[in-house]
Amino acid sequence: MTSIRKNKVFMGLLYVLVFFLLSEWLRPVIELTATGHHRLFLAFVALGLVMAFFDVPWWITGPLKLFYILWFIVYVYTGNLFFTAESLAFVVEQASISLSALFSQDWQATTDVFRTVLFFALLWMAIYLIHYWVSFRLSIFLFYLLTVIFVAVLDTFSPYSGDAAIVRIMVIGLLLAGLLHLARWMERHGAAAKTDKLLVFSIPLLLLLVASTAFAFYLPKADPIWPDPVPYITSYSGKGGVGQGGVGRIGYGVDDSQLGGSFVSDDTTVFRAEAEEGQYWKVEVKDVYTTKGWELSEEDADEQLYQNGDEVTTDFPPASEERSSALVDMQLPFPFVLYPYGTASFLMEETLDYRYDPVQQRFDTLQENTAFEPDVYEVFYSEPSYSLTALRETDTEQLSELPPEYDRYLQLPDELPDRVGELAEEIAAGSDTVYGQAQAVERYFGTNGFEYSQSGIAVPAEDQDYVDQFLFETQRGYCDNFSTSMVVLLRSLDIPARWVKGFNEGEVIDTVDGYDVYEVTNNNAHSWVEAYMPGVGWMMFEPTIGFTGASSIDFDLEIDTSEPEEEEMPDRPEPEPEAQPEQPDTGAGADTGPTAGERFLAFVSEQAGKLIAATIGLLLFAFMLFKVRKKWMPKVLIPYYRRKEADAETFEKAYLRLLKQLELYGIKRAPGQTLRSYAEYVDSFYGTKEMTELTAAYEKSVYGGDAQSVDWPKLKESWENLINRTSG
Amino acid sequence: MKATERLGKVIDNIEKVIIGKREIAELSLVALLSHGHVLLEDVPGVGKTMLVRALAKSVGADFKRIQFTPDLLPSDVVGVSIYNPKDMQFHFRPGPIMGNIVLADEINRTSPKTQSALLEAMEEASVTTDGVTMQIPKPFFVMATQNPIEYEGTYPLPEAQLDRFLLRVKMGYPTREEEIEVLARSQSIPPIEELESVLTLEELLKLQEEVRTIRVDDTIRTYIVELATQTRRDPYVYLGVSPRGSIALMKAAQAYAMLKGRDYVTPDDIQHLAKFVFGHRIMLRSEARYDGITAEELTERIIAKTRVPVQRLVNQ
Repeated sequence: MTSIRKNKVFMGLLYVLVFFLLSEWLRPVIELTATGHHRLFLAFVALGLVMAFFDVPWWITGPLKLFYILWFIVYVYTGNLFFTAESLAFVVEQASISLSALFSQDWQATTDVFRTVLFFALLWMAIYLIHYWVSFRLSIFLFYLLTVIFVAVLDTFSPYSGDAAIVRIMVIGLLLAGLLHLARWMERHGAAAKTDKLLVFSIPLLLLLVASTAFAFYLPKADPIWPDPVPYITSYSGKGGVGQGGVGRIGYGVDDSQLGGSFVSDDTTVFRAEAEEGQYWKVEVKDVYTTKGWELSEEDADEQLYQNGDEVTTDFPPASEERSSALVDMQLPFPFVLYPYGTASFLMEETLDYRYDPVQQRFDTLQENTAFEPDVYEVFYSEPSYSLTALRETDTEQLSELPPEYDRYLQLPDELPDRVGELAEEIAAGSDTVYGQAQAVERYFGTNGFEYSQSGIAVPAEDQDYVDQFLFETQRGYCDNFSTSMVVLLRSLDIPARWVKGFNEGEVIDTVDGYDVYEVTNNNAHSWVEAYMPGVGWMMFEPTIGFTGASSIDFDLEIDTSEPEEEEMPDRPEPEPEAQPEQPDTGAGADTGPTAGERFLAFVSEQAGKLIAATIGLLLFAFMLFKVRKKWMPKVLIPYYRRKEADAETFEKAYLRLLKQLELYGIKRAPGQTLRSYAEYVDSFYGTKEMTELTAAYEKSVYGGDAQSVDWPKLKESWENLINRTSG
Repeated sequence: MKATERLGKVIDNIEKVIIGKREIAELSLVALLSHGHVLLEDVPGVGKTMLVRALAKSVGADFKRIQFTPDLLPSDVVGVSIYNPKDMQFHFRPGPIMGNIVLADEINRTSPKTQSALLEAMEEASVTTDGVTMQIPKPFFVMATQNPIEYEGTYPLPEAQLDRFLLRVKMGYPTREEEIEVLARSQSIPPIEELESVLTLEELLKLQEEVRTIRVDDTIRTYIVELATQTRRDPYVYLGVSPRGSIALMKAAQAYAMLKGRDYVTPDDIQHLAKFVFGHRIMLRSEARYDGITAEELTERIIAKTRVPVQRLVNQ
């Protein structure tokens, strides 16, 4: 029989697929740990697989791999492409440092080089394991499953986004599993492993794979049915934070493409700010509304780089030369700075760049071109003030004369129901200025029966629009609902508007040198609106009920304004907990300080449906386990009965257990069948004598009442042998 | 020598004469060991007499034969007191029943009166004539034969009487090969003449005692009772197995277990013997006859559906 394992073309294909699967492991690890030299690690994997493929003997592969690792260290850490005396000395020195650290159990003292070596060792083992799985076991399922779980876990708990990776893994894994199944099948049936035959057999597999992938890819994806567990877990431990090197999902979400749904509170502190007054802290804006949420347009913009102290340019220039300052003490690592309206400059102890992207309007902090997470920084600002006279002169006619760069702030999805536009017209009727219309929209929610709530918030269905659902059906929601609706309504009126994310002012916890210390937690994560007033500029609006952030208005008119809300509120209102959908939030405010038990109960009551679903899922899983118990029971039973006392009672129990296992295996005993005839049947089935032997002992013990005669230690081997066969 | 080996020798001995009937030989021995009697039901000429003779010779027992005819009288079976004019006294002349192993040939051809005399002797192991009770020498074993073909002028045994037999066995024809072998053997001297005893009567009596000590577990007792109860409940059955039938099955199983070299009874023993013990104890309704079901088949059905006890009883 020509073994499938000897077909080099086929096996080569398998190894290529394995390489891709392994690289899916490498990618997030390298990305998350900010390890460089991705290609060199991949090359190591490739080298290992190629040598395994060609069955290179170990005494060649071993030294070769060691040499590669050595070269890698020299190249990466000393920058020398070739070994030099100096570089070798470096390696020796590193080795001695790490070894002495190891022997003194001072784990912290081990060097990066040592960690690199460990990582290589891990890769080496992984390559060996996979080689074994593919070449000897012809089975990859376990590894495939582990890969999926690995990526899923990383996607959930770390900044790594596995969206594309999971598709790649699925395709590679299914192909690999399918081909290996084919290989096993051919082995079992002794089919000749000819390449052309394999090709023919692979066609249905490929077709199926292509069809199912394409189908799955274009099908709409359901939302996650379970809220992100991370904030709950992390807030519980008080260690909320984003992972290294990327934008976190906790406290502040990056993905706003699917808004809606309830969440639980998370009072992990994000930062503390010492400032004269409470501020809205802006992070970034989004401009593309997708009917379900927000995305960023792929507009090209000139990124600006600023240094410490440089005057920055934003859409909100400082009101005057007189600057206020705020000291921000970050508690969670964010690779950007949060900034108030009217920001003029930043100051930080570290030397770094502030990269400002005018599209996203976020100040990323970079140190030598890698993301840097600031600890403490000072921001200088002067809150912009708007002249009421100018605002009263914002004519709607001016909107049509705006330059094309404002077009993206007027974007609306084609699917947006007409009634949204009609409502906008209705709200705006009676105001002839842009500012008046914007104000009308801003106030609309407060007077039309809308309700602020964080629980029981709907997620739009497949064919539903997020804003439409909120405006006409639920009328119940939190900041995202209000702010998104306002942007959409404004855009329907041709007023350029965009969606802003950040944090509200937080809670005053202390006073230092005349400055209030604000504590801003994940509950203060917030979203609001910026709209463009022709002739005046960009202005912020706060449509969410119960929130009082507003632009400062300069009452330069001599009219009695009945718009007290436009004024900056002198006394800070009770901040209501607010958060992004990614970071669940309970209704309980941060200031009430709910206990762990309360939080747990709140979590349970809010997620009752999902908990029930999970329970059902668990039960189903348990049922599945029960259904396939014949597979795993022997693995449990053997050690169990090994440990038990070696007496007749144990033997009898073990024997009865064996009967059950045999029954599960499919060798049924008729009710009227005696043990002996059953044993003979079992033995003839397996070609053994062991069942008859065991049965004779069992009969003697039970029918003969002679338990002393049982020699369980001696019978154990037969028993184990038989019970092992039942798991096949 | 162990019991099972000795008994094995007896069976081997019988097999020298009767070819291919090891099972029948075993069953005869089972009945002999458990103080029971066997009803052999079959056509003439299949070796019934030869079997009994071989058994008698193997155990060195006294062999008697009674050929039942319609005019046979009870006294012809049990014996008769004859007046001796010399001493002016009645002297009992024992009938052919007073032997160790008795072949009662064609038992259904004699009158019920004579039949019941035989059956009473079988049950009591003694005969009473003229007010004198006489013990029949031990061991006492009757093998009665019954010809199922002839119905003219026969007196079928009443069901109650049948209960006296431990087992009802059907002999059956030998297979082709066996019959050829039978022919070959009967060309020379009849082998029965050369048989020698392999077991003494004393040893046999001792074995009979030993059979009682064979262990019958509660699970087995439950099983027997369950089988018997099932026969009483079956819709095909007019009269099921009596408790005497249950006892018979247990005793037979004990003997069978000894034969197989065990000191305890297993469900296999019960299953093997049940149809021989129950077969003649079940009276079927006419529906069963229409459906072509015999008592043996019914027993097998009941065995197939009755759960075999495989676990120690909890209260033990």
